[in-house]
Amino acid sequence: MKRFVWRWLAVNSLLMLAAGAETRPQYGGTLRVTMQAAPTWLDPAENAQTDSFARRNLTRLIFDTLVTTDDAGRARGALAVSWQASPTNQRWQFHLRRGVKFHDGTALTSEVAAASLRAANPTWNVSVDGDSVVIERDIADPGMLAELALPRNAIAKRNSDGNPSGTGPFHIVDWQPGKKLILAAEEGYWRGRPFLDGIEIEMGRSFRDQMTALELGRADLVEIAPEQAHRVPLDARRLANSAPMELLALLFTRDVQTPEEKSLREALAWSVERGSIRSVLLQGGGQSAAAVLPTWMSGYGFIFSTDADLARARRAREQVRTIPTWTVAYDSGDAVARLLAERVALNGRDAGLALQPTSASTADLRLLRIPLVSADPWIALAGVASVAGAPMPKNEGGSVEDLYAAEQAMLATQRIIPLFHLPVTYAASASLKNWTLRPDGSWNLADACLGNGKP
Amino acid sequence: MIFRRKLLAVFALTVFLSVAAVAGLVLAVTRRAFERSEDERTAALVSQFQREFNRQGEDIARRVETVAGSEAVSRMAITLSGTAADSAGYLDLAKSMADSHQLDFLELVDEHGTIISSAEWPAKFGYPVSGFENFSSSNGQSAFLMQEELQDSTSLGLFAVRATHAGEHPVFVIGGRRLDRNFLSALDLPPGMRALLYQNRRDHFSGESLVDPSAPANSTGGEHGAENFATLVEAVQHYNQETTGIVHWSSDQADDEVFHAIPLRGVGKDHPLLGILLIGHSRRSYVELKRRIRDSALLVGGGGIVLAILLSGWAAARVTRPVEQLARAAHDVAEGNWSTRVEVPGSDELSQLAESFNRMTTELLTQKERLVQAERVAAWRELARRLAHELKNPLFPLQLTVENLVRAREQSPQQFDEVFRESSQTLLAEISNLKAIIGRFSEFSKMPHPQLQLVQVNEILRGVAQLFQAQLQAPGREPIECKLELEEGLDQIAADPELLHRALSNLVLNAMDAMPNGGTLTLLSRRHDGRVIMEVADTGSGLTREECERIFTPYYTSKQHGTGLGLAIVQSVVSDHGGRISVRSEPPRGTIFVIELPDNPEMRQKAAAKTPENAAQLRQ
Repeated sequence: MKRFVWRWLAVNSLLMLAAGAETRPQYGGTLRVTMQAAPTWLDPAENAQTDSFARRNLTRLIFDTLVTTDDAGRARGALAVSWQASPTNQRWQFHLRRGVKFHDGTALTSEVAAASLRAANPTWNVSVDGDSVVIERDIADPGMLAELALPRNAIAKRNSDGNPSGTGPFHIVDWQPGKKLILAAEEGYWRGRPFLDGIEIEMGRSFRDQMTALELGRADLVEIAPEQAHRVPLDARRLANSAPMELLALLFTRDVQTPEEKSLREALAWSVERGSIRSVLLQGGGQSAAAVLPTWMSGYGFIFSTDADLARARRAREQVRTIPTWTVAYDSGDAVARLLAERVALNGRDAGLALQPTSASTADLRLLRIPLVSADPWIALAGVASVAGAPMPKNEGGSVEDLYAAEQAMLATQRIIPLFHLPVTYAASASLKNWTLRPDGSWNLADACLGNGKP
Repeated sequence: MIFRRKLLAVFALTVFLSVAAVAGLVLAVTRRAFERSEDERTAALVSQFQREFNRQGEDIARRVETVAGSEAVSRMAITLSGTAADSAGYLDLAKSMADSHQLDFLELVDEHGTIISSAEWPAKFGYPVSGFENFSSSNGQSAFLMQEELQDSTSLGLFAVRATHAGEHPVFVIGGRRLDRNFLSALDLPPGMRALLYQNRRDHFSGESLVDPSAPANSTGGEHGAENFATLVEAVQHYNQETTGIVHWSSDQADDEVFHAIPLRGVGKDHPLLGILLIGHSRRSYVELKRRIRDSALLVGGGGIVLAILLSGWAAARVTRPVEQLARAAHDVAEGNWSTRVEVPGSDELSQLAESFNRMTTELLTQKERLVQAERVAAWRELARRLAHELKNPLFPLQLTVENLVRAREQSPQQFDEVFRESSQTLLAEISNLKAIIGRFSEFSKMPHPQLQLVQVNEILRGVAQLFQAQLQAPGREPIECKLELEEGLDQIAADPELLHRALSNLVLNAMDAMPNGGTLTLLSRRHDGRVIMEVADTGSGLTREECERIFTPYYTSKQHGTGLGLAIVQSVVSDHGGRISVRSEPPRGTIFVIELPDNPEMRQKAAAKTPENAAQLRQ
């Protein structure tokens, strides 16, 4: 009996050790990632390229920001260990972490950090005060911390060869713009070496190809189209959805010129059947939206009715005698966008409007996916306003009422018709463990590692 | 127009009309035969097209049935039959099924006609199918036409409907193919035939609605003469029935095409006109064949006409030669050549006519000789009578005178001298009278031949009038008024002025004798029908008809002391000038002698040559 007990204890100990080894992060391995986007520039301050979740992910792998935000939106120190804000929120001083080095081996200094911030924000007054960086603004900016947590404000050192150098967990091994990026773990990363030895990222792959690569075991982390998120034949534990961080909207390319045009835009906004589009074209993914900001971000999104009101749309349209034909541009590489544009045109026709979908670059309207740049509603709203060409909202008090008023003002310009808020969805192989998505839809691979394939 | 030309014209016209009639008849018969053949060919082609069209429809129906029976559609039908069915997952099903089954149109529709999935317009999910109630009953039936509304246009298609009853509620599969240039190109048509499609989107004709598989893919209908179909299309739109017409592409008829327009109607109670199928084939072969026939007909006809003219000429010459000979012979006879003869080539009617003519001329010649002989005898008799009469009158006084002399010598010698003197005077007078008689006969026999020269007739008439002016107004007789009615501007004629003067003088003397109680003497000249007319008219007692007939006979006289040679001399003079003299009289109104002299240029030329002073004038 005693002999049996000892044997039982030994076997159980071995099993527990094995189980512990399985759940405990392991060093090594190269993570294979595919993405649809094909960025050609890695500099986080480069403004020529459109914002995308892929770009944010790449930036966070190579670069660090002064501060970050946790899942609750609270600011956490990163390259800055502490900071002070003036009472008016116009002057911010950040004390840099000591001992941090760029991938080229040079130390992070306040001068380099200040230069990086100036490059990303030309309108800011950024100066150096010893080991700290001082940011002064003409207006109060209570959202400065959230702003600095954005990937575009990551600290980068511009080398003479044109390639930026960061302080992030991975450094660049091979960079083929728009095609492939190979990263290797930074051994001296100030937060500690990542478990992964490296990451290989293939760009410009369609959702279908990415899914195929995942099924064939040729990729460990792939993007899932929003409309396919509910139909991917995978274990839910291998899927990760962000909060709805992408706004799908119709943007008019110019301001309202006449009262008749205002009526027609109103008619179009009332004619769109968001419900059926969401259930069929988006396969139930995302959320119907008549507001710019998602409800989870603003808290009041449900106030805006997303139901189509064809009678109201027709009444608005009947106020206009001559109906122009509007062209609706969509991304020719996005099959869902084309269907969406056609459906919007079909709904508009029911209201008596004339819309012509087109893949041309110039059009009266554009159907756009706008990634919300931040979980901070004011920053997100400003980002949308920037894309839509609407007046920038002024964050004076930071209250929900102010936010609502700012959003209402933006919608009143009728430059934008919000349609849906879409989440970002990724699928991982069974071997990828301990990875999460941040609220802004970017990867959190700090603790990620590659296991034996069992979930 | 001479007889030969008339005959030639009649022959040629007859042949021409015959050839034209035959050619026209051949052309008409050929055209009718070809048109019948074309109609039969068109009907065959249309029938063939209909079969091909039906075959395509059957093919579409078969494919739609395959889709309806597929596992995917069956599974969808089962799924949608359940509670809380979500059709969103089938958004792309129609598209994938349409691609795999080679259908241009495919829609999966629930029992209420709501689109579940659409291949041609994926964004139209949830919308009702237009006209679903019309063709939902077409399940299991053959293909039908339907106007499918697309995102930015409408398209005509051949559709079939099949239902899947896998679950509690049926799912309808509406699939079809676009009736476009590819569809038309896929039709197995005979050589020379082509098919076009007009999509009846508007009430009026629009070239953009015409689908022509032979035209470049990016071209519009207007670039390839689509407007030429307007009449045909509008005829079908108006009458809503099959119509056949010719489409002209150029001025060359060989480029024309015959198009048979078939209205394509959709389903529904009104059977709307959705399109018009235009089946055409070239008329080139027909037109070229017709042209060859026409050219051959023209060539044969032209050759026939030329040959007909030659043969007609030969035949006319052969037919008319005897007639012409007869005409010439008759003309010769008319000219006085009575010995003219014509050939008698055969025994036909013309030969008999020629023989009769010859017999007639022979008879005429014989009769003429007899007449001449008779006239000669009569003339001699008349001459003898006249001589006897003329000589008897002086001889009788001579005889009496000589007898008086003899008697005076015997009975009263003392008075003989006186008697002798008186008798000798009488003898001399009668002998002189005899000599005069003999002299006139001698003069008549010695009528000189005219010495022609250019003379003015009016001058001669005036000279005659002047010569007799004194006698006309001589005391002791009733005065005679002389009137000259002369046409001015008469040309000179060739004549002997002295003989003409003598002839006219004789006529004036006759006129004076005819007017013992006075009257009016009229001398007239005029031109008529190329001849110069001279008239000598009196207002005397006139002549009887018998006198008029015999008055020019030598030695005939109505006067008591006339010799009867005056007018004979006048006639002789006129005759020697190639003219003629006539007389007309209406007793008691007077007598008119008419002299007609020819105005012959040749004679004038000869006369001018004899009178050099006139020759220059003539040449001018």
